[in-house]
Amino acid sequence: MEIINTYLLSVVLASLLANFVISLYAIFFKPHYIKKIIALTIFSDTANTFAIFIGYRRWINQNPSKVPVLTDLNPRAVEEFAKLAVDPLPQALVLTAIVIGLAVILFLVFLGWILYSHYKTLDMREIRRLRG
Amino acid sequence: MKTVEVVVLIILILALALLITVGFEHIMPSTAVRPPAEFYLYATYNPYKLREYTVMSPEAVTAIVWDFRGLDTLFETSVFYLALIAGLALTRRLLSERAEKPGHGLSLIVKTVTRITAPMIIVVGASIALHGHLTPGGGFQGGSVIAVLPMVIIVVFSVSFLIMRGFTTSKMIIMRSLGLFGIGLTAIALFLVSLIQGTHAYVFQNMIKPDAQTSMPIYIAGALISGTLWFFNLFEMFAVAAGFSIAFIVLMLARTLQVEER
Repeated sequence: MEIINTYLLSVVLASLLANFVISLYAIFFKPHYIKKIIALTIFSDTANTFAIFIGYRRWINQNPSKVPVLTDLNPRAVEEFAKLAVDPLPQALVLTAIVIGLAVILFLVFLGWILYSHYKTLDMREIRRLRG
Repeated sequence: MKTVEVVVLIILILALALLITVGFEHIMPSTAVRPPAEFYLYATYNPYKLREYTVMSPEAVTAIVWDFRGLDTLFETSVFYLALIAGLALTRRLLSERAEKPGHGLSLIVKTVTRITAPMIIVVGASIALHGHLTPGGGFQGGSVIAVLPMVIIVVFSVSFLIMRGFTTSKMIIMRSLGLFGIGLTAIALFLVSLIQGTHAYVFQNMIKPDAQTSMPIYIAGALISGTLWFFNLFEMFAVAAGFSIAFIVLMLARTLQVEER
């Protein structure tokens, strides 16, 4: 049973790695600007999921780990909560990273608008040809 | 052809997962990363033993986001604001915001359903934001949910409808600036109070610290608000909802402009 759980977690990890590779490929080799932005969002989401995955901990031979939200407000529950809950720090950092990624993507979309109104195309090959 | 590629990819992932399973203990972080997490979890709501370090918020993530690492979030908010302002400054030349006759929009059924669901969207967003210190959620998430509403209105009615109802970008910028002003004021509120009282407190302080005994209110009328956290979530909700509304309105105006050009 233990090995099956580990294998399922490893599938998540391996597909995250595959996602990294595919989105990096798309960022560099897809010619269209919008597709580059989509690949960038996939890349940042993969990185965020990876951070949360690192923060997750399966407590072997103990109770399953808890979400980092306290439901009982008594001293004993707080002690147990500190022992069993997952690491909240990656989740907080991911929350920050999501907002900053969103700001970057918003700016890139506005830049794409400028690019389109200037060149009348968003194909990077065309823009490279028209440069100058 | 595509199917073959996908099947090969899935087989590769499963094989890699098998490889990772064998060496799983070596790639996962060791238990040495646990003490900081344990401190945050232990201090997030602990009036019993850690009265001088606790945030009095049952939600550990919000406690980290707005108190333990509050400056991060403050600068994150300003990054979002700067990106928005930079985008508006870039596209100012292209933008002509004039109230023209609203388009036809979608059918009457869709419009009526939108009118019914509009208050519900706002209520859900506000409950996510204002319970951010009790349940998963917070100002940013609640604001994003509220920002769905202008998007739906733009799709169902039209962008001119939204502008004629008074939701112009300049008003949204004022609302966003008020939200950001509220965040800044909350950050230095305790500092200002202690200046008047003659005691001393820190910027971005929430609960009492060993050498600064002033504190934000923990309860208001019997409801747990966790000091600054509730105010931060409230103002962040306004700022984020208004910020996304600006982006949607401006981008949709771009579409109408380019339709006119053809």
